[in-house]
Amino acid sequence: MVSNAALDTTIGVVTPENIAFEYHLAGPFRRLPAYLIDWAARWILIFCTIVPLYFSGFFLNFWVVGPFLVAATFLIYFVISWFYGTLMETFFNGRTIGKWLTGIRVIDVDGRPVTGRSALLRNLLRIADLAPMYAISNVSEGVPPIYMIPTGLVGLTTMMMTRRMQRLGDLAAGTMVVIDEKKWKLPMEKVSDSRVPALASYLPADFRVSRTMSRTLAIYVERRTMMTSTRRREIARQLTDPLLRRLNFRPEIDPDLMMYALYYHAFLKDQDTGEVDIKPLRGFSPLMGEALRPTDNLDVGAGIGRGSIRSREVDLSSVAARETERSGRGLVMADEDEQSEDGKTPTPRISDNLAASKKSAPRGIQNESAEDGK
Amino acid sequence: MKIAQRLQSRQPQWEELSRFCDAMELRGRTDRATKGDLVGAAGIARFSSLYRSACADLALADAYQLPPATVSYLHRLVARAHNQLYRANRLKPNGWTDLIFVEAPKRIFADPCVRIAAVVFFGLFSLSMYLAFQEQSFPMYAESVAGEQALQQAETSFEQPLNASFSHYVTMSGFYIQHNTGIGLRCFAWGVLIVPCLYVLASNAIQLGAVFGYMARSETNAGDNFFQFVTAHGPFELTAIALAAGAGLRLGVGLFRTKGLTRVDSVRENASRAVPIMAASAMLFVMAAFTEGFLSPSPVPYVFKALWSILSSGLISFYFVILGFPEQEPSDNLEDELQEIWDAA
Repeated sequence: MVSNAALDTTIGVVTPENIAFEYHLAGPFRRLPAYLIDWAARWILIFCTIVPLYFSGFFLNFWVVGPFLVAATFLIYFVISWFYGTLMETFFNGRTIGKWLTGIRVIDVDGRPVTGRSALLRNLLRIADLAPMYAISNVSEGVPPIYMIPTGLVGLTTMMMTRRMQRLGDLAAGTMVVIDEKKWKLPMEKVSDSRVPALASYLPADFRVSRTMSRTLAIYVERRTMMTSTRRREIARQLTDPLLRRLNFRPEIDPDLMMYALYYHAFLKDQDTGEVDIKPLRGFSPLMGEALRPTDNLDVGAGIGRGSIRSREVDLSSVAARETERSGRGLVMADEDEQSEDGKTPTPRISDNLAASKKSAPRGIQNESAEDGK
Repeated sequence: MKIAQRLQSRQPQWEELSRFCDAMELRGRTDRATKGDLVGAAGIARFSSLYRSACADLALADAYQLPPATVSYLHRLVARAHNQLYRANRLKPNGWTDLIFVEAPKRIFADPCVRIAAVVFFGLFSLSMYLAFQEQSFPMYAESVAGEQALQQAETSFEQPLNASFSHYVTMSGFYIQHNTGIGLRCFAWGVLIVPCLYVLASNAIQLGAVFGYMARSETNAGDNFFQFVTAHGPFELTAIALAAGAGLRLGVGLFRTKGLTRVDSVRENASRAVPIMAASAMLFVMAAFTEGFLSPSPVPYVFKALWSILSSGLISFYFVILGFPEQEPSDNLEDELQEIWDAA
């Protein structure tokens, strides 16, 4: 955890009570949109305050209240343009409109909410962070020299060079900007593939998943939707290849599916329910020793080409019904290089005495097998 | 117990804690989270018991084999709840008066950066004024620094005796607050980079000095009216500019003069010292703006303006010196007393 803290954009905060928690830092690409939104919001706010003022001024006697209106305009412009960020961050707990929309928040570097003083500092110093100014008149002659574009290089440089991605204002105020996610879904993946429980039922009843392995499984299942099927297999194979050998399973079982089954076994399976529908396997047994039982009701030449089995849940379940029995492809991965073995009897890779064992693998190897998976 | 079940049993509590956090972040109170059932102490008690159980869940996350996404959710939840439980104090009403009338004068009195800024500003200002005044020795100085057009414009605008209407006062004081305080705040912000701050400070000093010197020449027509205009608000405004720059320099100096702290800590330390100075400067800017808006352009006899100028200078000196003079450390007194007692014994 400590070693990847420097690479990751998380910052750990340890309170005096020894509670440790982590914040995700917000980088420039989240903060720039927030700033632009705030810039627009500031002007909208100024206009929304001034226009009603003038309207009410017209209903009253404009000659009397007129000068006050003009003075109020100056003051409103001054207060909103200089103290918008300060006031928003102080009263809405570190968030402005732009930050609220982009889901970020300013907090103290030691994790507490931002105080008024630090909010003031970091907002005043934004000017220095936006430096140096670039004059548009350098590019085109016609533009008057008052139009300057802030390049923000100072802030960007300091953000890159500090671990907490702080700009100068943040450094001075001792604040940082963190991602403020509140979305909460039960991180349990719903297993829609009906073959997963069936495959999981072939795991030995006393197969215990170790702590590190369960973490690996959870991370894998959380992130597998972000990877292509080939990549998934490549990653999953690291764990499943030795495991398939230990458990005496057939080596051509799709590693992704195997991972899913292990995940199901570790996290979701209810131990009480004994009955598992193994029909989705179409009679294919994942165990090495078991013969392949032919089934009649399947169309053998269903025209499943190579690569048609994708590991995504939807594909899996729909394709599974059309699997050809001959090659036992219900669980087999459809890699290009594996395709050459289609139809052949897979070469046994483990010794015969292990191959002979059925559903429950020898007891002694279970824990090691789990540890191997790391 | 499988993890799915455990999560399902815990989730309502976590969600309740999250609702509490929502309510407390918004209003600092718990009543909205429970729809008015638990108000005040009862709500806080409920909140802290939920917080403790979430902490326990987080501590046991590894033993429970919770999935990483759940663990990171718990991290965020505990962090939020912790922030509410130990929240920083909001701005108290007397916080600002303390800041301006107790902390700021002491800082200003003790701060070398303020002295440097004041020397730079008033030194350059006087020098530039002298150069612009001595037309024979330094011909064209004022014109080349401030620009001939600007000087002409200033001269024509002050040719008429000061006699503005009330509406003009109100409008202009609004404008001065916005414009001049803006310059001061900008000067402060640039201070963290030092060079731009010094540039703004010096260029303001030289420009102002050139105009003052030009107006002070005997052959300038508008000179009398000009000095009638600037006398009243001069002390406030010039001091405010120097203070803003001093506060800014304090920020920038912290970057390279760390005094044994890490660089980041040094910047933080110096910035927090600079804030009261900046607040004092902003206050002076606002007072200068009101003077500039109401008193300066009015046809009040010059005596009153001069009196106000003297009074404001006196107020500023009182503020800096009397309020700012470092108090004797109470511990010293105690030690002295102990020493005396010891001697007596």
